[in-house]
Amino acid sequence: MSLLLLIIPLIAVLLFIFIKKDYLLHAVSISALGLQVLLAAFLTKDVVVFGKVESAFFYLDSLSIIILDIVLLISFFVAVYSIQYLKEDLRPGALDLKKVKLYYILMHLFIFTMVLALVVKNMGIMWIAIEATTLASVFLVGFDNDKFSLEAAWKYIIICSVGIAIAMLGIILLHLSSIGLLENSGFLDWVALMENAESLKSASVRLAFIFILVGFGTKAGLAPMHTWLPDAHSQAPSPISALLSGVLLNSAMYGIIRMTAIVNKSLGSSIYAGRLLMALGILSIVTAAFFILTQRDLKRLLAYSSIEHMGIVAVAIGFFTPLSIYGGLLHMINHSFTKSMLFLSSGTLIQKYGTKNIAKIKGVIRLLPFSGIAFLLGLFAIAGMPPFSIFASEFGILISVFEEGSYFIGGALAILFAIIFAGIGVAMFRIFYGKGEEKDIEPGENNIPGAVVIIILLVIIAITGLFMPETILDLVYDAQSVISGI
Amino acid sequence: MSSLFDILSVMILLSSFVLMANKRIKSYIKTFRIQSLLIAIVAGILGIQLIINEGRVDVLIVCIIIVLLKVIYIPNLLRRTYLGVEHRVEKDFIWNIPILVLICCGLVVFIYFSITAIEGISEDISTIQLVNSVSVVLIGLFFMISRKKAIGLIIGFLELENGIFVTAMFATDGMPFIVDLGIFIDMLTAVMIMGVMVFRISDKFDTINIDELNKLKG
Repeated sequence: MSLLLLIIPLIAVLLFIFIKKDYLLHAVSISALGLQVLLAAFLTKDVVVFGKVESAFFYLDSLSIIILDIVLLISFFVAVYSIQYLKEDLRPGALDLKKVKLYYILMHLFIFTMVLALVVKNMGIMWIAIEATTLASVFLVGFDNDKFSLEAAWKYIIICSVGIAIAMLGIILLHLSSIGLLENSGFLDWVALMENAESLKSASVRLAFIFILVGFGTKAGLAPMHTWLPDAHSQAPSPISALLSGVLLNSAMYGIIRMTAIVNKSLGSSIYAGRLLMALGILSIVTAAFFILTQRDLKRLLAYSSIEHMGIVAVAIGFFTPLSIYGGLLHMINHSFTKSMLFLSSGTLIQKYGTKNIAKIKGVIRLLPFSGIAFLLGLFAIAGMPPFSIFASEFGILISVFEEGSYFIGGALAILFAIIFAGIGVAMFRIFYGKGEEKDIEPGENNIPGAVVIIILLVIIAITGLFMPETILDLVYDAQSVISGI
Repeated sequence: MSSLFDILSVMILLSSFVLMANKRIKSYIKTFRIQSLLIAIVAGILGIQLIINEGRVDVLIVCIIIVLLKVIYIPNLLRRTYLGVEHRVEKDFIWNIPILVLICCGLVVFIYFSITAIEGISEDISTIQLVNSVSVVLIGLFFMISRKKAIGLIIGFLELENGIFVTAMFATDGMPFIVDLGIFIDMLTAVMIMGVMVFRISDKFDTINIDELNKLKG
């Protein structure tokens, strides 16, 4: 079944190459992702019933299935949103079929690589897939093909390739630590490594963790390796930003989580990995807070907020208590849905106003009754307001930090959250209030399917903030015990 | 056999010093070719050894791929890219060469002390090989910092990749074959994409000096 999950996007890519009608392109894209979501639902059921789905090459447990579900659900929403977005974006000049084709081919390859990273058993192949995500998405970042997007794409490929190459060094050292311990087929196999974690050579494992943290941390947007992220997120077309932020960061974080689980089990304590993760995490939150306060560009604001939330997840995983891991995983889910909703609605806003400058976007509610309101509520949600889901998980993480007795870190986190809340609040009021020169812009939604998707996502984050379905909570709990190795 | 590998690892390290001392993009490409050839020789010797001892053919296949890709195809690709933007390329360095080389020496010493400080690492692997190959990685990174032309960055990235590859060879007799294969595909795609981007940058910015890419801030 996992194999099918990987074959569908490849078939879709083949179809894209040969199709000559644009409505067929849209149809293939939607149906491919629809099928993938269905398959993922079946796989989720299997994982819930049996605990894991395993074959020689593939391995899915509750941790990977959670992230896989996020990837495919959000990709599906993004695909629906893209249809009208592309038509709108290409309106000046005739609808360029070639560009639409390229967009879909790269987008589906991008999704393929992320799915591959999540379903394989072998950490080496996971590395290859994560490197491939960069390669598949670099032309999507540079899709507009102007000076700005080209600069963003160049930074993206150089910084991420180097970062990922450093992660390779870590994987080599991890391999070294297991030589003489594992059989040939068990090399770099996540399950085997986890089972034999206690007997891995600890010197190499320690060294490996640093390299892998820096490498995958680059991709996950942890400071100080985050410099590509605001550029890439702000220059990519908005649906792609939604994928980068909501999905790609999670896939990279997944690699770090898997590695942390091995290291902590191998060393018998979480102090070593925990300190490193917490340091990077808090640094990310501080960096993000600083830039959010002074931000003038709508999408860069959202990008820095992604850095913040990845930092929060890193801190939560760093603490490595059952409650903090649980909160961290929930936070990954909530952040993905909220952030992709925000990027999608910001895409609608930017298309409407023709600018990303916060100061020039005014009177949103009158012009865009649905996506505008959704965007503002989304900003509330991402800043951590109840009743939205981000609040619930942030609060959970804070409690777990205080429960551990780390009052200093807990207090610092609380203050940083407040600063970020203020920063986002200021930006929001600028958009909310103020009457601008928007008279020459027609009110009304242009992207109807997009607006529907945005509303669905808004409903999801509002409901899950109050009430999370029991099945999901059980799944997250299982994932937590997979990570803890208990 | 291990003394032979020691010598080869020193030669690979030397080649990265030579690369650092190069001034022109043409000579970068030549030096990179020589470095890749040295790595291919390491892989070849290791491959033959493994066939005799364990009957494993994968490392020898990897050696052939290195020769095809890193010694022949990628340098030619870079040469073509370079020729395509040649009229805009001059000398490319910021500090003077002796200082750069001295900094590289400092990097090697730093790596030596960092690696020997790790307890128990010498049980697993010969220290001199690890020091040399990790130094190549760091020097590659430093090369990327010190050059200002887009092609220089690509070469630096490839040198870094070479260093990582040779670390894998020395430390673990090569990664599992399927992983090696995936790495090659990724690397090849990365270099091709970077090559295309060099052309685009040259088109849009009228230069391949990456200092010009400074529009996105804050």
